[in-house]
Amino acid sequence: MKNFLILIITVIFLYSCASTNVVEVENREATTVDITQNASSKRISNVGLDLGEPEIKIFFGYDEDTLSEDSLVNLLEISRVLKDNERYTLLVEGHADERGTREYNLALSERRAKAVEDFLVSAGIIPVRIEVVGYGEEQPTDVSSNENAWSKNRRAELFFVR
Amino acid sequence: MKRILLTLLLVQNIFSELIIEITESSKNLIKVAVIQKQQATKIGDLVVGVIEQDLKRTGEFEVLSKDQMLSIPTKESEVIQRDWLLLEVDAIIFLDIDETRNNLDIKFLIYDVGYKDILDDGKVLGLPDSLRQTSHFVSDEIYKYFYGIEGVSATKLMYVTKNNNIHRLIISDSDGFNQQVILKSNQSIISPTWSSDAKDIAYVSFENNRAQVFLHNLATGKRESILATGSTVSSPAWSPDKGKIAFSSTMDGNSEIYLLDLRSKRINRLTDNKAIDTEPAWSPDGKKILFTSDRSGSPQIYEINPINLVKRRITTVGNYNARPSYINKQKIIFVHRGTESFQIAALDLRTRELEILTSTKNDESPCIAPNGNVIIYSTKAGELSYLAGVNISSGVKFKLPAIYSELKEPAWSPFLR
Repeated sequence: MKNFLILIITVIFLYSCASTNVVEVENREATTVDITQNASSKRISNVGLDLGEPEIKIFFGYDEDTLSEDSLVNLLEISRVLKDNERYTLLVEGHADERGTREYNLALSERRAKAVEDFLVSAGIIPVRIEVVGYGEEQPTDVSSNENAWSKNRRAELFFVR
Repeated sequence: MKRILLTLLLVQNIFSELIIEITESSKNLIKVAVIQKQQATKIGDLVVGVIEQDLKRTGEFEVLSKDQMLSIPTKESEVIQRDWLLLEVDAIIFLDIDETRNNLDIKFLIYDVGYKDILDDGKVLGLPDSLRQTSHFVSDEIYKYFYGIEGVSATKLMYVTKNNNIHRLIISDSDGFNQQVILKSNQSIISPTWSSDAKDIAYVSFENNRAQVFLHNLATGKRESILATGSTVSSPAWSPDKGKIAFSSTMDGNSEIYLLDLRSKRINRLTDNKAIDTEPAWSPDGKKILFTSDRSGSPQIYEINPINLVKRRITTVGNYNARPSYINKQKIIFVHRGTESFQIAALDLRTRELEILTSTKNDESPCIAPNGNVIIYSTKAGELSYLAGVNISSGVKFKLPAIYSELKEPAWSPFLR
């Protein structure tokens, strides 16, 4: 009703004084949604399970998803464990450093995790045993802004789900 | 009684809220005085205060305080020109504040001291419980009169704060006041964005431990994820007509751009290659979409027609150009990596002229105000990110400091009228 009244006043004013600018204010309220107490409900995968410390970490260069020779040796070891333990599956989390945009880093971090998956698949692990997820720059291990911190944050973390 | 309570609350807010600070003013300030025509009232003083602060916070006005005035006219005919010329005041803003009948109506009149004439007048019809917002509209009318550009005092800012591992999606007035928590989560929230009518927002939440896009109605708090998939869904962008959402997802293997029609629920894939394609942003007319792709080997900006899928590369200078958005049909802004640092740059699509707009380092998430003239972005001092801004036409710079927590991912609302 109040809005209706204001509208009428506005219209009358517009007609009576055509040269004057009239602005009508609308009150907007928003509701707060708090999901901090929600348990992460939609468990569609192993993502989000508390898997403790990662089995290994693989590190990457700036804006790169290339696997170093050292990491290939580590990944071959991972593939051997997966072959020896057929019930194990693997979760690969990709991460990026803080430089560059958040969305690009999200995609880049997932591509790093995917590079790990691709290598393991080429080593004979079937893709359904590997799950990848990208966290972009959202979960740094070191929050400092220097090359040392960035090199630690550009990583993939591998977890066995036993 | 209610009015007194409101006054108290507002006074308290002045001390407890984050406020935009001007870090670099314009070189050419317009000097004004804001005067209430009637006998001063509590509400009137608050309105005058808000408008004075709004004008100062543009960085393009100097406001004469009451104790500096040599005479105080209550109407145009009482202006003693000599007094005001002496103080180098360009214009006097007269306010006629009507707080009867449960309304708060503000008539304003811009009086030019030099010409001794009324330049412009107008009226804002408001409500007592939206005193600040009503006053902001007056400020915007004044700004528009002097600078020929829409003012943005009456718009809103959305941003994400992080404090003790709690992430909050906040909406505040554009001056930083009146913060409302929209979403509080233990996990990251990124890429918040407004619908064109400012009634709904979209953002990426990691609440289910994987990036998912949510649509969220501000009035009801009702929210839903746009796609139930085990893959990353990210970077939402509402089409100007609100009918579609452009987003990126890895559901087909690697990051591609998709279009979701919100009525038919049909999904169209717009890009198809092995590179990263992300960060879609609509042109104001809804006919083109900018996006970031590293198909050339480094992240660069491309433009695609969502109907015929014809693409063209936009950026060629530098090895890192990302997170694009249109200022208007001819000009875009994005994150550009210069020799050492990431800064916000603008590119004229016709002349191909690249302009670095910011002088800070580690600049991210640029967003243009609805008047197309003010950019807000996040940047970093030490380990804390905060929001900073720049006015394109005047060069005014401002910041919203990180006092209580980190501030990032700003998104400027559309006009709220």
